[in-house]
Amino acid sequence: MAAPTSLPPIAYPGLPLGPSTAYTPGPGTHLHAPSSTIHASLAGRPVLTPQKPPASNPTISIPRLLPSPARAPVPSANVGNTNTLPRVGSVVLCRVVRVRTRQVDVVMLAVGREDGDGGEDVCGDEWQAVVRKEDVRATEKEKVVCGDGFRVGDVVRGVVISLGDQSNYYLSTARNELGVIMARSEAGNAMVPISWKEFRDPITGERESRKVAKPF
Amino acid sequence: MTDRRRINGPLGGTAPPVFVSSLTSKTTSPAKRTRAPDELRKIFLKTGLTPSASGSAYFELEPSTPTAASESLASKAPALKLTCTVHGPRPLPRSAPFSPQLLLSTRIKFAPFAARQRRGYIPNVGERDLAAHLETALRGVLIGERWPKSGIDVVITVLEGEEDNSWNKGQSGESGRTGGWGMMSILSGCITVASAAIIDAGIDCIDLVTGGVAAVVRQPTAPPQVFLDPCPSDHEEIFAACVIGYLQTRDEITELWTKRSIMASTDGNRANTMEFEPLVDQAVEAAVAARLVLIEAIKESTEVKVQTSQFGHPKNAAS
Repeated sequence: MAAPTSLPPIAYPGLPLGPSTAYTPGPGTHLHAPSSTIHASLAGRPVLTPQKPPASNPTISIPRLLPSPARAPVPSANVGNTNTLPRVGSVVLCRVVRVRTRQVDVVMLAVGREDGDGGEDVCGDEWQAVVRKEDVRATEKEKVVCGDGFRVGDVVRGVVISLGDQSNYYLSTARNELGVIMARSEAGNAMVPISWKEFRDPITGERESRKVAKPF
Repeated sequence: MTDRRRINGPLGGTAPPVFVSSLTSKTTSPAKRTRAPDELRKIFLKTGLTPSASGSAYFELEPSTPTAASESLASKAPALKLTCTVHGPRPLPRSAPFSPQLLLSTRIKFAPFAARQRRGYIPNVGERDLAAHLETALRGVLIGERWPKSGIDVVITVLEGEEDNSWNKGQSGESGRTGGWGMMSILSGCITVASAAIIDAGIDCIDLVTGGVAAVVRQPTAPPQVFLDPCPSDHEEIFAACVIGYLQTRDEITELWTKRSIMASTDGNRANTMEFEPLVDQAVEAAVAARLVLIEAIKESTEVKVQTSQFGHPKNAAS
């Protein structure tokens, strides 16, 4: 039943790619239930990824393409990839815009790729999100003071835990590798992390408290 | 005291230019359809033209009757030119309620110079009506669940719209205005161009949706006949017309709009009776033909994108 890997070089939405008995639908494809056929749902080059033994069917997926080259006139231009969307479990980079007593308001700037190569896709728009007080760290949650963990302008690595309410995504920084990764001191200098809860200004030597992300 | 808040015109006033009327100097015969009944006008379609949008496309239909260059400018047959931009998926405004799926909003605007009669900037009823039709046509193809909490805006500008009457047919009140039958071709073009732009933006769709038009047309001698892709100025009278948005892979229709009654064309003579279904079938045929163009346009732009993402795109080059 499993047809040999004869995927078309270019797929477009609606193009049948193979029977669902032989393949598993991946991102960029969808399953048409009545005909049990996997169809493409994006334009792009379909790829076949073999699965681990328990699930024997290889996955067909169509990687999302970056916008047209017209959008990146110079190679150094940082193109906002407008079709990245944060989802539950995505590791995101965000900037703090407001610190309140119960929550920290941030905007998400980049979403980590899920294929695990460590890269990020820059969002075309800023997506609103909050880190609630109880999601700042895993232990001693009741003693968290938002103002001690974050300052406006900090760049934070967080993980999306919920799509949240009508306007905000909910993020969590309750892991060692999550938290503030870039911060400036009150003097305006870039600071370096010195412990799990402090940054130090290398010029003035002053220390400031943050929820520091553990460097990799 | 002069009005400083506005940009004022010159004080002396200007004399408007007066052109020699080319309409009276020359009598041209009204345009006639030269295509076969099942032949469409040639379509030009290209995606990815607007750099600031996440997806865009341009659509053009050639003028129905190519006029010789020596003829007067005024007798130029109308063409159809549309641009479409897709913005998003972008975050919903703060006031919008939580939406588990993609919110679609469509807007169609005629450029002020789209038709012979100038238009205003404020959207009118006809434009809103077209946008509502377009929205139903597109809603059925989008896989909205993959884009929770976000919305896309589909904006179409009609750069040149078709007119119901040819310019040669005199200067009666109705002539020179878009509306009526011309709207059907415009909607069909809008569906196709929006489909191309959405795919260019990389938004999940179940299929390609394309628009098609067919019309029952009065013939001078023969009984009424169904014509594909009618250009209103080519025909003396259109009895009924049908636009559809069609998904070929699934054999589904997302949008169906018919105008006027088919029975009106039959003159009570049963021999000439036109059925509704053949009209829809012909419109489907027109949509299938437009799909070929859409596929080619998508393949062309996708190949370029695949190549740039493999070799030397800033993001991949860095990693």
